Amino acid sequence: MKIVIMGCGRVGAQLASVMDANGHDVTVLDIEDYSFRRLAPNFGGTALLGNGTEEDSLRRAGIEKADAFVAVTQGDNRNVMAAQICKHIFNVPKVICRIYDPLRQELYSTLGLDAFSPTTILTQMLREKLED
Amino acid sequence: MGTDADEQAIRLAAGMAKKNKGKVWAVYVITVKRALPVEAEIEQDIQRGEAVLDHMESIAEEVGIEIETDLLQAREVGPAIVDEAVELGADLILMGVTYKRRFGQFTIGNVVPYVFKNASCRVILYHQPVPVGEATE
Amino acid sequence: MYIVIIGGGQVGYYLAKALLDEGHEVLVVERDARRVEFINNELGSVCIRGDGCETATLAEVGTERADLLIAVTARDEGNLVACQVAKHRFNAPRTIARLSNPSNEAIFKKLGIDVTVSSTNIILENIKQEVPTHSLTHLLYLRDKGMEVVDIKIQPGSSTIGKTIKELSLPPDTILSLVISKERKPKVPTATTVLQAGDQIIAVTPAELEEALRASLSGG
Repeated sequence: MKIVIMGCGRVGAQLASVMDANGHDVTVLDIEDYSFRRLAPNFGGTALLGNGTEEDSLRRAGIEKADAFVAVTQGDNRNVMAAQICKHIFNVPKVICRIYDPLRQELYSTLGLDAFSPTTILTQMLREKLED
Repeated sequence: MGTDADEQAIRLAAGMAKKNKGKVWAVYVITVKRALPVEAEIEQDIQRGEAVLDHMESIAEEVGIEIETDLLQAREVGPAIVDEAVELGADLILMGVTYKRRFGQFTIGNVVPYVFKNASCRVILYHQPVPVGEATE
Repeated sequence: MYIVIIGGGQVGYYLAKALLDEGHEVLVVERDARRVEFINNELGSVCIRGDGCETATLAEVGTERADLLIAVTARDEGNLVACQVAKHRFNAPRTIARLSNPSNEAIFKKLGIDVTVSSTNIILENIKQEVPTHSLTHLLYLRDKGMEVVDIKIQPGSSTIGKTIKELSLPPDTILSLVISKERKPKVPTATTVLQAGDQIIAVTPAELEEALRASLSGG
């Protein structure tokens, strides 16, 4: 599977490294080359400098042939915009998007975006631990 | 807003007005949330405002001075008070405030600083001390 | 009209000022506390502090009863989200987004934003009108038809000088509606009208064929 990941933070870098190790064709995008230091030393995919909210950068990352796109930058709005471009302009079959703000996540989920909120997930986890 | 401080402030104003042969306007401002048009009629708030102003009138009557009342609707209290004072040609704004806490700290709120900063007439602030034992709320 | 503006920077501030002058009810949402204070001091209490992309903020400012929401922050993605939240959560009848990157125009359209304004594009259009070396100028874009009204100048040395209209290979669905000669004589062109250096032509063409039209008129 060809996967494009936008944002090489802790989550993006770990996901890129894991998917690469599992034999997938991974391209990871970030606007700072310093972020790529987080990738596993044996990462065999492509690391590209670029902004995932710009069509040109996405094309360079091979979005037209991608099977999946994951948006995990720190900015909710950037993730939302890039995910929508990939879903509606490039028709990528699987698009996943991180949105910290639970209310925005809810809205975009109802609009058909595969969005999850780490805030909600972590709160649930902590609550379960506390009430255990 | 109809607190004890307001009542004390009105008595103070009435006393000053009597001595100087002045006139008192009691102003009650209803803050209207942005979700509603500013002229929206919020029955509950209007009733409360009218009740407070009626009470002020009875106090004025008791002291024996002339009083007029005004029920205003605005987004923010501060600008409403300052503008009203200008419109009425008031020589003095007298405000009563109670001891308030926000996030556990004493706060003066934003109305008083706004009026101090922007009023074009004299301003007197009457501050009501908090009864002992209630300061934690 | 009740108009909500997201972003109290220079654009948001002057926009709010102009709309207030026109008698509209205006509210500005701005993240920076000092900027909020400045706007409230200048324009009266018309600005609240908040993030215009957050549902809670938009609920607080009464987006539900807004006739129009305009997002003019410096960030395209923030403007997109503010407009989408306003549209889908609060049924704002009309949304306008400011764009910095002109290539986002098509994306925003596709994602349901009613109007986009790109200052970059506006400046570019102005440059094209001012600088005579550009032989094609956009006059008007007919949005729902996807047609463009353009102004083309026949440059000296162009290989189409001396040719008649019927000798040109114009792109399909394109009409030359007016030819204005160097001597300022406008006329409706016919098949036998001969092109002269300095002629100015007003034409209607599908937006995607504008380059083909320019090429067929300049002979290049």
